[in-house]
Amino acid sequence: MAAKPIASPIPVAMYPTLSVFTLAIGLVITAIFFIYEATSSRKNRSLAKELATSAVASVFLGFGSLFLLLASGVYV
Amino acid sequence: MKQSSVDLLLLLLALAVLATPAFSDLVLSKVERRIDVTSQIARVTKTLQVINSGSESVSEFTLTFPKFLGNNLAYLSVVHSEGKGKSKRNLANLSVRAANPKGIPDSISVYSVSLPKPLSKGETLTLEVVAAFTNVLQPFPEKISQGDSHLVMLQESSQYLSPYAVESQSLTIKLPNARIESYTKLENTKLQGYEIKYGPYKNLLPFSYSPIVVHFESKAAFAVAEKLVREIEVSHWGNVQVTEHYNVVHRGAQLKGEFSRLDFQARPNPLGVSAFRHLLARLPPRAHSIYYRDDIGNISTSQMQSDSKKTDLLIEPRFPLFGGWKTFFTIGYGLPLSDFLFVSEGKRFLNISFGSPMIDLVTEKLIVQVVLPEGSKDISVTTPFAVKQSQEIKYSHLDIAGRPVVVLEKNNVVPDHNQYIQVYYKFSNINLLSEPLMLISGFFVLFITCIIYTRADFSISKSSATYLAKLQWDEVLATLQEVQSIIQKCLATHDKLEASLRDLSRTGDIQTCKAARKSTDSLLKDLSKELKPLLGFLQSSPSASHISPKVEELVAKEKELQEKLMAKHTTVVEGYEKKSSGRDIENRIASQQQKIIALRQEIEDLLEFIDEI
Repeated sequence: MAAKPIASPIPVAMYPTLSVFTLAIGLVITAIFFIYEATSSRKNRSLAKELATSAVASVFLGFGSLFLLLASGVYV
Repeated sequence: MKQSSVDLLLLLLALAVLATPAFSDLVLSKVERRIDVTSQIARVTKTLQVINSGSESVSEFTLTFPKFLGNNLAYLSVVHSEGKGKSKRNLANLSVRAANPKGIPDSISVYSVSLPKPLSKGETLTLEVVAAFTNVLQPFPEKISQGDSHLVMLQESSQYLSPYAVESQSLTIKLPNARIESYTKLENTKLQGYEIKYGPYKNLLPFSYSPIVVHFESKAAFAVAEKLVREIEVSHWGNVQVTEHYNVVHRGAQLKGEFSRLDFQARPNPLGVSAFRHLLARLPPRAHSIYYRDDIGNISTSQMQSDSKKTDLLIEPRFPLFGGWKTFFTIGYGLPLSDFLFVSEGKRFLNISFGSPMIDLVTEKLIVQVVLPEGSKDISVTTPFAVKQSQEIKYSHLDIAGRPVVVLEKNNVVPDHNQYIQVYYKFSNINLLSEPLMLISGFFVLFITCIIYTRADFSISKSSATYLAKLQWDEVLATLQEVQSIIQKCLATHDKLEASLRDLSRTGDIQTCKAARKSTDSLLKDLSKELKPLLGFLQSSPSASHISPKVEELVAKEKELQEKLMAKHTTVVEGYEKKSSGRDIENRIASQQQKIIALRQEIEDLLEFIDEI
């Protein structure tokens, strides 16, 4: 019986770095989203652009917060 | 004490009337017993040499213990071994089960061992038996005061209790390095250092029994966990988290009278020897994030040392534990996933030790909860000994359906039970993505809410003057933004035209330059068409009255710029067609260039002004 050890998909030591970078990118895109929301007037706001920005931002924020949880010892 | 002497009497009576033809086929040619009582657990090691003197082959071997020992039997293993001394080899672990044959009195516990192969006539076999008993070292006296030493008593039989005839047997009792109060002296009894030797005794009949009592001082910690809950949580993100909740009690002689902290602290050696201060937990190597706390909070009195083979955690409860005293605490630690989780034939399995990592701790009730990741299927458990199994569901971070929990329960667990158990399950790595997806959708919902909020109209009165003014102003702003973007586009087109001029001066290709001119011409025309209705709106809108002159000025300047640029372009292209020298062309457009720069500056200023509105 050849038993192979299973490791995590991403090395545990990478979690803090990854969480910093993904969260930073996510927050920047979130900022872009809110700046767009605040500056563009109601008439010429483009829904597609809003949805695209928010989707990208939530992917980065989602992974970033997951890595933050893992880095701080909350293994989900 | 009284109870057990009555037991002994009953046992002897029963033995006297017992006739046992059923077991007489086998003979034990040599029995060596060693009882180690240096800790709170009485660990008995026996080497039995079995000979079949009968005519039929035998496949079952019967082990017997007096009932008062058998009731406290925590661990029993029988190994078939071969050779002696250093060349001794263990061949096989034999299966043992409790039996209840007829003709054996109630005062004897019987265990049946199935032999690796039937023992035919005249053959011999060596068995190694290891048995661990708890609660057999009885404190005597049962209550002591703080300064007294802790005396305990062991009852055994100097002759090996067996349904078979024994040709030669000896018993060694290993005592801790402390006072020996008394021991039963029989013939052939020797005390060597801290070891008492009984025997060898020759040619004993079946069910021979000769009670002995050893009374001695024990300095071992009689730490018993009344209940221990170990929670082992597997996360495929790289961690096995172990949390252990201990309810520890000192099961030695009870403390009589009061406890003096001053005496205990000032002269710890004579006063308070029966108490224990520390517990040592031997955790696996690479254990991290270790904590030790109770209901109040962190307990700071712990020390940790680690090397490549183990992690030693020395924990000190909040107070020294005397006989009968209890304490509660929790320890937790994380372990690297790859040390404990493996995959084999498409199934994953967790390979982790069953019992408590505490050294010499007896657990009365051990509950091991193995929490598997959400989405695990086909769960099965293999254990080297019998345990009670059940399954539960636990809800933890980011769960929808809950995590399957395998609950294993076992009573009377001793350190010998610290063997590896395997929890097999199936898990697909796709399920790992469910947690990030949940977080992502959470954030996405937040953004969607913002989008809806900015689009929603929350004003109560839809016909009030301020509301209407606001609506109009919104429209003005939207128009202004459009104007701005169109002007920006115009400026970008201008840049393109300039670039085509630079290309011309480099390559001298007049045709491409003309083509570029044509395309910009049409583009600018389109843009100015787009601009017209917007300007009309701004002029008509009352709320834009203070802005519209500025916008008009902007548009006019832009138009002027356009014209100047076109003029410049025409001049340059003509110059090239006439093959004038570069200097000549430059001289001709110099004045135009100045105006263009000035206009550009003005337009940018105006744009900035509009931007600030």
